[in-house]
Amino acid sequence: MSDNKIYFKFDGKRYGGNEGDTIASALLRNNIKFVGRSFKYHRPRGIYTCGIEEPNALVQIINEHNEPNVRATVKKIYEGMVVKSQNRWPSLKRDFGSINNLLSPIFSAGFYYKTFMGPKGFWKKVYEPLIRRTAGLGKPPKEFRSKSIHIHHNVDVLIVGGGLSGLLAAKKLAGTDHDVLLIDRDDCLGGILKNTKKIKSIDNQRTNTWVEKTEWLIKNSKNIKILKNTTVTTYNFDNHLVAFEDKSVGKPPDNIKPELVLHKIRTKHTILANGHIERFISFRNNDLPGVMLAASFEKYIHKYGVVPDQNPIIFTNNSSTFSLLKSLVDLGHKPRAYVDVRDQKKIEKETLELLTKYNIPLYAKSEIEGCDGKNGVQKVSIRIKKNEIIKIKTSMLCVSGGFNPDIHLFTQSKGLIKWDDSLLTFKPDKSYQNTITLGSVSGNFSYEKLIGEINKKLSFLQGVNHLESTLDINGPKKFQIKELWETKHEKKSFWSKSFIDLQNDVTTKDLKQAILEGFNRIEHLKRFTTNSMGTDQGKISSINALGIVSKILKKNVSEVGTTIYRPPYTPVSFSAIAGRSTYEFYDPERKTPLHTWHVNNNAVFEDVGQWKRPWYFKKHTNETMHEAVQRESKQLRETAGILDGSTLGKIEIKGRDALTFINLMYTNSFTKLKPMSARYALMLGEDGMVKDDGIVCKINDQHFIATTTTGGAANVLAHMEEYAQTEWPDMNVYMNSITEQFATFNISGPKSRVIMSRVFNDIDFSNDKFPFMTFQNFNYLDTQIRILRASFTGELGYEIYIPPKYALRLWQRIFFYSRDLDLVPYGTETMHLLRAEKGYIIVGQDTDGTVTPLDLNLNWMIGKKKKDFIGKRSLTRSDIVRENRKQLVGLIPLDKTYGIEEGQHVIEKENLSTPIKKPVEMLGHVTSSYFSPTLKHSVAMALIRGGKRKIGSQLYVSTSDLNTIPVEVVETSFIDPKNERMLL
Amino acid sequence: MFIINCPYCGERDQSEFSNGGEAHVARPKDPEQINDREWSEYVFVRANPKGIYYERWVHTHGCKKWFNAVRNTSTDKILKVYKLGEAPPSIKEFKNTLKSPSGEPEVGSGNFTVKKT
Ligand SMILES: [Zn+2]
Repeated sequence: MSDNKIYFKFDGKRYGGNEGDTIASALLRNNIKFVGRSFKYHRPRGIYTCGIEEPNALVQIINEHNEPNVRATVKKIYEGMVVKSQNRWPSLKRDFGSINNLLSPIFSAGFYYKTFMGPKGFWKKVYEPLIRRTAGLGKPPKEFRSKSIHIHHNVDVLIVGGGLSGLLAAKKLAGTDHDVLLIDRDDCLGGILKNTKKIKSIDNQRTNTWVEKTEWLIKNSKNIKILKNTTVTTYNFDNHLVAFEDKSVGKPPDNIKPELVLHKIRTKHTILANGHIERFISFRNNDLPGVMLAASFEKYIHKYGVVPDQNPIIFTNNSSTFSLLKSLVDLGHKPRAYVDVRDQKKIEKETLELLTKYNIPLYAKSEIEGCDGKNGVQKVSIRIKKNEIIKIKTSMLCVSGGFNPDIHLFTQSKGLIKWDDSLLTFKPDKSYQNTITLGSVSGNFSYEKLIGEINKKLSFLQGVNHLESTLDINGPKKFQIKELWETKHEKKSFWSKSFIDLQNDVTTKDLKQAILEGFNRIEHLKRFTTNSMGTDQGKISSINALGIVSKILKKNVSEVGTTIYRPPYTPVSFSAIAGRSTYEFYDPERKTPLHTWHVNNNAVFEDVGQWKRPWYFKKHTNETMHEAVQRESKQLRETAGILDGSTLGKIEIKGRDALTFINLMYTNSFTKLKPMSARYALMLGEDGMVKDDGIVCKINDQHFIATTTTGGAANVLAHMEEYAQTEWPDMNVYMNSITEQFATFNISGPKSRVIMSRVFNDIDFSNDKFPFMTFQNFNYLDTQIRILRASFTGELGYEIYIPPKYALRLWQRIFFYSRDLDLVPYGTETMHLLRAEKGYIIVGQDTDGTVTPLDLNLNWMIGKKKKDFIGKRSLTRSDIVRENRKQLVGLIPLDKTYGIEEGQHVIEKENLSTPIKKPVEMLGHVTSSYFSPTLKHSVAMALIRGGKRKIGSQLYVSTSDLNTIPVEVVETSFIDPKNERMLL
Repeated sequence: MFIINCPYCGERDQSEFSNGGEAHVARPKDPEQINDREWSEYVFVRANPKGIYYERWVHTHGCKKWFNAVRNTSTDKILKVYKLGEAPPSIKEFKNTLKSPSGEPEVGSGNFTVKKT
């Protein structure tokens, strides 16, 4: 095709649009007005506005991963774009869900809270599937993509809005020393200068020429940067604003370049020049396709060169519609009627002159009662006198209910607003931050006063010039409005509805009903009716709702108040927020120096914090996890096993007062511990609850190395730092993480001494020379390693600490020397099983922040003679010494063929009534459970009330199939309670 | 997303810091000598006022140093920062902006935004 048209698809049909067209302007160009169905009632909906405020025309972009809820009035078309309408099934014209419109009594105010209560079982079988099928805005995207980046700005002045006020402000700042950022959400600057006929000329130049010249001047000023297609969505504390730039406007998706940019802006002063938004009026069927806001209609004419309809009816309560009237008659089009709520005497003479000149019927002191038509406006009813209604055929109705300063960002900044009785809207009152409002957002709708306002409000900025400009204004100079929020219904039928929130399908009747039900506070009313809770946040209607409510409550709008305007101002795609933090960049993956070896040996990995740890090693492809863990566990207790423990946190503590410090940080006493010895140590919070555990090695009184749980490393270091800095600043002690400085191997099992002696043939590993819980440093190649004799499996065991670059070589060497000894590599699951057999706890699995050392039977770890340590005093609090606290015990099933499930409840009774009528008293829950290949039955640990006294008794554990199994309560040490194997 | 002036590094974004709760809650010198109630007040009870609050912050993603700050909890304005060991500023230094008995801030949101002050 060589006609310069851009072709795209809407609901399967091909349409052509012009370059720069939005989906909406292109559809209007093709005379398509019916573009979607509404959220609740599935009523036909059209294009209501020409910008970000659009409540109705939401579409899905199929070729952009199904991107839902895209505003057709904002998104620009490109060749090959595939667009689909929303909320309809099976098709736009025949929609099954529109039956909701007939069921509307059940969808009235508060329907979320009331309707779906009964009968029993209906929720799962009827309501939920029905709601899932027909409700919701659009459908979620099929896959996540992020091609966004974040950019930070630090500027002196941020100007939000590049319309008339924003451009004048920028002109005033051009060439000064202020670092300025000017942001406009459109693809061009100019605002009303481009979208309306309100200004004839500026400085005797045509408006377009003036905009071009001013933009050129700004660009050449060197101190002002312009961002277009960028919407400021958020205004935070300390003048921190967030803006969202769409780089791909009018372009098909690009697979390389970032499409979205999230700008994070910190500024000294914010100038809000973001204008105003037109609002609608509620009348019967004010949602029909063909009803459009008047200023939006005019914007289609000037910005896109589309006349949505040549002979619409204009309905207004204010002076602004002169501009639309003028635009239409200038093009030779004649509106069918001009309906003004105001008395003829109050209507501006400029408007009356035009109406007379072009012979357009004026209905003064009249209002639109409603409109009718199938899938679009066909007929409009005008109430010309109290009881007299006339009907006029038309396919479009342009409505203006007045203007609201766009105060969203201003209120986000926590500025105060006030009601203006002459403008009938809220406008900024007092800034909270360094925020300046200019032009219509400040409530100034008089162009004559604009230059004065800008000069006055920006005079405090250093080095700015006095701005001089002459504006030649078209039509009425002063903005006049008469209050009207809703017109009276004539017809009563299910189909006849007067909407207050188009996106959420809230009717004016819902507002009345909610107030009758007692929701007379505006914040309650909003939530109960869901008014203004859609993605458009009721931009064209929320003030109207306040107007209607204030009338019912017989209060002033300022007494009714307004709800909070929350960020973001317009919907922000998750992918923009995500930026580069996606997939592997979202949370870094940490791998040990042996990772490749694990991969090559068929390890299945488990995420522990950010670490990738081998969970178990598959011997052959068909081996299940259970089989692998049973094999690894059994093998280790028979010969030996090796675990990559490099992820364990390691903290080095040094200083003259290191011993005193360690004694305060841990429950155990380190005073009498000999140098080059180690202790299993517990760390508590000040509340006496177990926070972490690990082995603490004492090199000497001034030097310790503590290990922590893999997940707890950062917290433990922070905890130590906090106490060192805030409680004991005079202590000479320093600590640092050395987790990554050493790889750690845990070798354990009866054969581990043989293996160690072969690998390190010059070291004596005998009990005398290398007793349990001691460590030694050795030279190995050209580095130093530390070997600690310790065990977490209950078997004879050693831990080797070695700098990472030597790790793989040593690891392989160990396997080489134990090739005839069946050394088995094992993962975290086997480690968990083995320690559970031995009765060792895992902090975070067998504890949950409510468990003390006493509850865990770890009294032996408490340095009784120590005067103080963190949490000590709490251990004698009345609640901590209470006998029936939950305490850790072991459980064994009476019938050894049964397995116990982790997380199940421990109860006293065998039988549960079905259905359960009375709450069943729960004694506690199972914290760990494994099938022991050595004992050949299930072993479990549980936290149960008064557990210590229950040892020897019989209890029951619930199962996931609603049965119970009898268990015996035992001590937690299932294997080798005398530690003979460990001390071998 | 407010700015915090770290006494060691200078102004940095809030996201670099962590809050450490009320400041100047000294750990009892001799915990064994105080009763359960006094001890649990130290462990669990904090003032948490709406208004002027002395609290601890740590520059977690920076110098890792702890310091104290005076913040108005109803406006999130940080009024003063000072190093550990320095004497806390007198409460009289700060104008309490609370106007109503229930302590709504002068500047707020929602209904408060149009409330007559
Ligand atoms: Zn710092």
